[in-house]
Amino acid sequence: MSESMASKREPVVAIIGYGTGGVNAAIALRTSGYQGTITVFSNVDTLPYSPILTSYYASGEKTLEQCFPWSAEELAELSLDVHSNAEVLKLDVANHAISTAEGTFPYTKCVIATGSTPMCYGFPKVEGKGGYEPIVLRTLENAERLKGVLNDDSCERVLVSGASMVALKTLEACLNRGKRVTLVGMNPHVLDFNALPESAERFERGLLGYGVELRLGQTISAVKRIQRQETARNGRDWQLEVTFSNGDVDYFDEISVSHGMKSNLDFVEPGSLEIDRALVVDEYMRTSDPDVYAAGDVVQALELISGQKRIVGIWKNAAVQGACAGKAIAAELAGKEPSPEDAYKGSISMNTIAVKDILFISSGTMEITPNRTLEIREDDDMTVLYIFEEAEEGDRRLVGFNLVCDHSEEGSPAYDTGAMLTLRIESKAATKPA
Amino acid sequence: MGLLERSDAYWRFAGQCTQCGHCTKACDSLVKADMTLGDIAHALLEAERTADSADELRKNIAMNGQLVQAVRGCFFCTQCKNTCFAHNDVCDLIYNARVDFQNLGLIPRDTWSSVLVDEEWDIFTAYRAIHGIGFADLTRHVDTDYAPAETGFDVAFFPGCSLAAYAPQLTREIFETIEGFGDSVTMLDSCCGSSLRSAGFFDRAETLCDKNVQELVQSGAKKLICVCPGCANDMRKAIIRCAADIEVISLPQYLLSKGFVPKNALPDTPLCISKSCQDRDGTYLEQTCELLGVDPSTPTIFHGCCGAGGAVSAFDPDRQAHQADEKLSFAPEGSTVVTMCPTCTYTYAFRLMSAPRNLTNKHYAELLFESQIDWEMNFYQLNSMWYGEYGQWLAEVFA
Repeated sequence: MSESMASKREPVVAIIGYGTGGVNAAIALRTSGYQGTITVFSNVDTLPYSPILTSYYASGEKTLEQCFPWSAEELAELSLDVHSNAEVLKLDVANHAISTAEGTFPYTKCVIATGSTPMCYGFPKVEGKGGYEPIVLRTLENAERLKGVLNDDSCERVLVSGASMVALKTLEACLNRGKRVTLVGMNPHVLDFNALPESAERFERGLLGYGVELRLGQTISAVKRIQRQETARNGRDWQLEVTFSNGDVDYFDEISVSHGMKSNLDFVEPGSLEIDRALVVDEYMRTSDPDVYAAGDVVQALELISGQKRIVGIWKNAAVQGACAGKAIAAELAGKEPSPEDAYKGSISMNTIAVKDILFISSGTMEITPNRTLEIREDDDMTVLYIFEEAEEGDRRLVGFNLVCDHSEEGSPAYDTGAMLTLRIESKAATKPA
Repeated sequence: MGLLERSDAYWRFAGQCTQCGHCTKACDSLVKADMTLGDIAHALLEAERTADSADELRKNIAMNGQLVQAVRGCFFCTQCKNTCFAHNDVCDLIYNARVDFQNLGLIPRDTWSSVLVDEEWDIFTAYRAIHGIGFADLTRHVDTDYAPAETGFDVAFFPGCSLAAYAPQLTREIFETIEGFGDSVTMLDSCCGSSLRSAGFFDRAETLCDKNVQELVQSGAKKLICVCPGCANDMRKAIIRCAADIEVISLPQYLLSKGFVPKNALPDTPLCISKSCQDRDGTYLEQTCELLGVDPSTPTIFHGCCGAGGAVSAFDPDRQAHQADEKLSFAPEGSTVVTMCPTCTYTYAFRLMSAPRNLTNKHYAELLFESQIDWEMNFYQLNSMWYGEYGQWLAEVFA
């Protein structure tokens, strides 16, 4: 360790980010016996919330209170020193210091758990008087805006740009509130990167059945805010004229954009930590600096099918990784080596999304390499795509699957099948040498 | 932090749940409780936070009817986990909660006193003793009055409590078949401890499984053949825990590897397969279909718990009956319901005797082997043993 600000004082664990990764790091620190200072830097002034629930909140399925997984009383038990509205401007790894607008704070160990931000890559600047910022969905603030749009009777048509999970949950929220929805996506199918064409097509048929207009293989070329041509509807006297890449022009009341996610790492000085697509971490969630750990959407950690370090940005991974970091830090501050039992075991990519009663589940890889074969089983209710890999000893193992079910409800056999196949992938992946 | 033994687990689960509510919709008990995985964990933590003593904690929990419903109404069927978008293991949370419930005296003794399968007498050993069912000649790795312990076995056979007690002939026939393939075999007539786990005796269940593993290690067997997927799951975990070099395989997998040909023709009636909730990865179902020469997509398959899981019958017997009835309602009229777990076979047999339907109920081993299970006799014997010469003794032992 260099001559640090923290080394002369009692240990301080700093957690940057107050979401699931950060809170689970704090919980693990406390349950592992660490009694020192935990300073949390949050860029908002709310309790930690679940970004997964933002679309549910926007559509009225969840109340605002339900979006906060931890109560103030629970969090108080963790004795955290929380700095609200304290965006971290700089992480000075060499000097073990964190800078915010409030000042500079020392740390002994640091956990970065700042999550990611939805991007609007490629969305054109909106022309016309008044301009327009598209709707994105990640934060509670974003959700409040979407909620307002969904409650606004003057909004009838919504254009959802992007075909990822977030885009589809936004689409569902719109459908649930009776909006007419058009989805535009640059790829030929929905469920970017998670679905193979055969399963995506079935999902798309389901969307069409709910009246969704699909513009796949297209992008938005231009957007112009214009005065409504007909009489203003419920006070709305403007609309958005959208030109698509194929030359079509159509009119919408609102546009939601989900063009990928970006890890929130602007405060990390270039070259101070190893960053590929995100922070590269070891099995204890340690970055290239032994006193800086990371969890959640900001890390590339072991992915079991490929054996490579990848971003698998799902809530549970953030929670598990945060806990791994917390346990490892607690051990180190107690002068011990972190226990291999508490190491991050890796994960496989898995996604489940339901839009109305159309269910999509995927796990593992979707890459069809020369040693992999695709098998499709289809019946009236369900399409399942299996990706098998030929193992050296002549065996073949399941390394990925897609499942689409047209009419599923919670607890239905489709979920059971998805879980069964996921378990098969996990059990084999865990035993495969990286 | 302190009054609950498992509070670390509740913190962990509270942090892993997104509160989306999909798990709730997948489970009647969670619907009744109106709780998610996260709600259960938070409720336990709140009960602890607002209590100064174990007595207060007990009262806090007992007064929370929703929490009691969620914890004691769980079949451990994993339907909630299967539906959870993050695959959070709600059952694992409930197991932990049952431990705390047991520690706090929130699970009445009369609901578990007869299923302490790590003690000398439990309902299965008592049934076997009273009705003269023994396997001393098959448990060859054990030192007995009749023969010294042997070692160096190729495989060990684990029929599980229900099969050994209610189907002794079938158990013997399976054992003899294994031996007939030229494998030297011994039998563990112990239990995997699932009933202990359901009652909240988590540590005792693990100790029992670990003891089974020690027996296996001493026997020298490198493979353990399990009839029931639930036993296989628990023994697999114990083997990993004990770092033993033993492979757990299903009976169907073993039979397939030996080229076994079923001794019975398939029934004339349509097959309807109950995929046991313990058959987590579906291998028992697939391998059984392969043994029977049945395309897995041909028979009707219904998923989920038969109602026997989690000792729910001790908390809400109507729910157990309702669950069994609901599952059986998936079976087409006149079909043969094929179960993977002998306890499912027992549960459906009991239900079909109480509320007859035009269904035949078979464990998969009954389709493969000649010996059949006589449920009428079993239920008669189970009932009568409480009234005969052993009645008083049983009442005292299980008081």
